[in-house]
Amino acid sequence: MSTDDAQEDTHIDIADGVDHQVAMVMDLNKCIGCQTCTVACKTLWTEGGGREHMYWNNVETKPGKGYPKNWEESGGGWKSGEHSERQPGEIPSEEDYGGDWEFNHEEIMYDGSDEPLRPQADPEWGPNWDEDEGAGEYPNSYYFYLPRICNHCTHPSCVEACPRKALYKREEDGIVLVDQERCRGYRYCVEGCPYKKVYYNAVSKKSEKCIFCFPRLEGEGPDDTVHATACAEECPPQLRLVGYLDDEDGPIYKLVEEYEVALPLHPEFETVPNVYYIPPYAPPQHSEDGETVQGVDRIPNDYLEELFGDRVNDALDTIEKHRDRVRRGGESELMEMLQDKNPAQQYRLEVFDDD
Amino acid sequence: MTDSGHTRSWLGVTALVVLAVVGAAVMPSLTSARPANEVPVGDVGAGATDPTAEAWTTVPSVEMALSSAPSGLPRASNVSVEHARVRAATNDSHVFVRVSWADATADRNTSAPRAFADAVAVQLPENETARPPIAMGGTGNRVNVWYWTGDGRTEELLAGGAGTTTDFAETSVSTDAVHENGEWHVTFTREAAAQGNRTDLAGEQDIDVSLAVWNGSYNERAGRKAVSEWHYLAMGPGPQGPPYETILWTVAGLAILFATVVTIEGVRRTRGEAA
Repeated sequence: MSTDDAQEDTHIDIADGVDHQVAMVMDLNKCIGCQTCTVACKTLWTEGGGREHMYWNNVETKPGKGYPKNWEESGGGWKSGEHSERQPGEIPSEEDYGGDWEFNHEEIMYDGSDEPLRPQADPEWGPNWDEDEGAGEYPNSYYFYLPRICNHCTHPSCVEACPRKALYKREEDGIVLVDQERCRGYRYCVEGCPYKKVYYNAVSKKSEKCIFCFPRLEGEGPDDTVHATACAEECPPQLRLVGYLDDEDGPIYKLVEEYEVALPLHPEFETVPNVYYIPPYAPPQHSEDGETVQGVDRIPNDYLEELFGDRVNDALDTIEKHRDRVRRGGESELMEMLQDKNPAQQYRLEVFDDD
Repeated sequence: MTDSGHTRSWLGVTALVVLAVVGAAVMPSLTSARPANEVPVGDVGAGATDPTAEAWTTVPSVEMALSSAPSGLPRASNVSVEHARVRAATNDSHVFVRVSWADATADRNTSAPRAFADAVAVQLPENETARPPIAMGGTGNRVNVWYWTGDGRTEELLAGGAGTTTDFAETSVSTDAVHENGEWHVTFTREAAAQGNRTDLAGEQDIDVSLAVWNGSYNERAGRKAVSEWHYLAMGPGPQGPPYETILWTVAGLAILFATVVTIEGVRRTRGEAA
């Protein structure tokens, strides 16, 4: 099947000039906040050379201010779904990212110091600073973890923001990249991305971002074989599916387009992300004496709407319906997909290799 | 008509001739008849690479008005620098351009996400004889840009329209900068002769030149900048050159003198006939 046929057959909105679109689904009900994805990404891509403050993958506690601090209020994106006018944005400050702190490892490990291990500075913010704080009152306090990478958007406002066209969507798979030769460090992409997933490297004087581990997707990873992104493969609860949105036989397409239970984060930014989330399904509220309070959501519905838009209600209803069906001994393709541990289904990365 | 009358009148004519020649030499400087967009090019020694060099005090300066450059960038019309003063000079081998502008803060740092450096750029046509579009030139009519930033970098760029700036592999431009009393003074130095994609400044012709200034602490960068109109470095022999000017003024003076003498002589003869 040619590329053109494939696009005619589907109603999926992938970007003009892009053959296929990489996509990821993260099931927030599985995230334990262990930061293994964060560390996998950091050790692979952003260990040094001006990248100390960068976490191309981060996991933040929601509700919370996130990383960089208050990124949700920092502007960027589009004013409407027409994608004709961009929303002004701000560049986060160094403090919003959190500095690269020095620790007293040397003194404690080698010099016999009794000091506690601590940063040798007095930081006031950093990645994961408000971990597990969440919101709500005992016994109905609540929080969940939100892993975030670049959304490799269908309408990337970072690409549009660059006066030099240094950012672009790769033709073969829609991965958004910064051409390091063209970039001159103007940082319009940094302020233009509403998710604040483009970062300025003060050493190279250029901007950088998540590359969706494209060398791994191309078979340049360990053992010269095709691998999913490091954040996905290293995840202990295996909460991520990686593949192509336009792979209609794959679970991503089904979860996003058919069951509509995988939703983009902050759809009102209008960039049309290609990273999708299964919204968190929290237990109901409890009374003071530990009794279940039926019909009252622990995670307030309006908060989930704030993150995932109105469609979150239908998504949660659909999941609830299928859970019930399985609980009663029925079958559900949706529940099977959400519980699948078969890597061949979880990471469908070679389906278009014959194109 | 007596002999003494003749002598007196020729003395008068001689005095007028002397006056005309002296006037030809003095008048131009009195009227300062420099075209508005001309940047005079002085003659200095090698020390002109230093923006504080004594040699610069002998070179006349030109004030260029700056305004925001049209661009689609956010807040592009909001720029802070309104004027820059430019001096240009040559010696036997090099061309020097010195740009001065007021900026209270010397922004030299680009080591934080929000830190932008002050900067200045001098734009020249790649092809000396054709004036390119003011906004970074055009595809068929490119520009050379000499670009200095407050974090100590100098770049020599080639551009054929906005967003097309490309570094030369090796820069042939050197810079020196000083910030004092709330003002930046930046000198650019390059060998006058050049080939290939570089503007040749060794020929005897005027060269178009324009400026751009960025205030880093105002978040100015890329197309958000204060720019000038096209001016020109007066390097050619053009009509404003001193030798040509002297001849013109002398001819004009002699013509006036001739007309005066003819008139006086005519009046005298008329009187003489009447007497």
